[in-house]
Amino acid sequence: MSKLVLKFENSVLKEVPVGTSEVSIGRSPENGLVIDNPAVSHYHARVFQEEGRLMLEDFGSLNGTFVNGQRVKMVTLKPGDSVMVGKHTIVVTESREASSGLITWNGNARPAAPKINETVMLDTKARRDFLQQVAAGGESSQIAPARVKVATLVVRSGKTDRKEYALTDKLTVVGKSAMATVKLKGWFAPKAAAQLSRREGNEYYLGAADKIPSVNGTPISHPTKLEPGDVIAVAGIELEFVYRD
Amino acid sequence: MMFSGARAKADSERRMAMEIEFGARSDVGCVRENNEDSYRVAAEMNLFVLSDGMGGLASGEIASRLSVDTVVKHCGEAAANPSLRMMGARIAGASEASNRLASAIRLANEAVYGAAKQNGNDGRMGATLAAVRFEGERMTVAHVGDSRVYRLRGGNLEQLTRDHSFVAEQVHHGRMTAEEASTSALQSVLLRAIGIEAEVDVDVSEELLVEGDTVLLCSDGLTRELSDEQIGGVLEECEDAQQAADSLVELAKQAGGGDNVTVIVVRCSPKPTGTLARIGKWFRDSA
Repeated sequence: MSKLVLKFENSVLKEVPVGTSEVSIGRSPENGLVIDNPAVSHYHARVFQEEGRLMLEDFGSLNGTFVNGQRVKMVTLKPGDSVMVGKHTIVVTESREASSGLITWNGNARPAAPKINETVMLDTKARRDFLQQVAAGGESSQIAPARVKVATLVVRSGKTDRKEYALTDKLTVVGKSAMATVKLKGWFAPKAAAQLSRREGNEYYLGAADKIPSVNGTPISHPTKLEPGDVIAVAGIELEFVYRD
Repeated sequence: MMFSGARAKADSERRMAMEIEFGARSDVGCVRENNEDSYRVAAEMNLFVLSDGMGGLASGEIASRLSVDTVVKHCGEAAANPSLRMMGARIAGASEASNRLASAIRLANEAVYGAAKQNGNDGRMGATLAAVRFEGERMTVAHVGDSRVYRLRGGNLEQLTRDHSFVAEQVHHGRMTAEEASTSALQSVLLRAIGIEAEVDVDVSEELLVEGDTVLLCSDGLTRELSDEQIGGVLEECEDAQQAADSLVELAKQAGGGDNVTVIVVRCSPKPTGTLARIGKWFRDSA
């Protein structure tokens, strides 16, 4: 959270936090930061958030607005910047909490809710922080690990063309059809008994096709994420799902 | 905007023809002033694309229209010229059609991102995107954002895409329940969208197509109003895809219609063969 610290000749007069709405600066009492001094215009300038950055805009004031000694019209502010308005100084500081962005997220706190069901996008820094945080929670993350594990099906029982299948495709079919990777033998084997679909994060989802497969003894009711060690049973065969290096 | 159902054929690697019947409908809903959803059906390519735009003034409409148009255009150019350069890294283990669709969506992102810079407003506009493409018995599902693709198979409605939203990510990692997510004030906060950044990570998966499958693409205007059970019920009951699409939109509006709602319904049925089937078809067509 950024703050504007108003000073006059080294004395701190007041502090105003900058949240998601803007802070207007000027002599008029309606402003968020009121500076009662003849050198300051009634509506002098404003500070606002844009895409995770703190912006300062001068409203065409008579005496101008200066940042670090330079007269400006519209500029990005960084913590530590010194803004001169008339004879007053406004210092931009950052408090201990996570820096503000379009919508911030710092671990346990929630992003500020957008207005009225408007669909919004989390800003870049907040998004990356968030994704890293959830990934660090133990699950395999989107951020590619040093070595990607290869999902493998190990045949535990039943007639198939091989004993093991390293899964490399987005779609893996178990059945008799030409599309099948795990080829079932036998006259009555279905064309497509079941399917495995690779989704983001190297996760595999088992889905029904002509048959409804079971995972660890329970028939699935919807595409089900497979965990290492899960045993899939369908069309007379049993396959164990594992990850190999 | 109404789109009457029509038929297209998907010839599989094993020369079994599966007939695809589709219907689509997009509606502004009961609350919003304009419709920022767009969709396109490119039947000759078995390609179905839907997009939900966001941004002030008319930006949302521009973003979603540009998104679907770019996807269809690129896939069309590639169909005529298969050696057309692909945008972005190849996805290992994915079919040519899947890679081409991903390439098209990356191009859409580039187009919207570039257009946003020229657009007034605050220079930002974005959109979600959901697309499916059929090739034989393989269906490519690609999406960015929180517009969804569902499949009805064996009476079960299955959500094939995971929303790229804050709440969905929380639910996936066990930090929030699905119920909490559906009532959360943050449910419309996206983690990924078309046109917001220079590059986008397209979420691609492939599914097997089975006779009798019904596939649904929809913007969140549908799923905010209707439950999965209600949606599945409509898809099961309706005579044809267009009727299903119309019913879904009407129900969503009756339930509140708080947002634009767009649906595309695709039904995969085996092509009837043999004399009796041909006679049956003749009767149906002349009725």
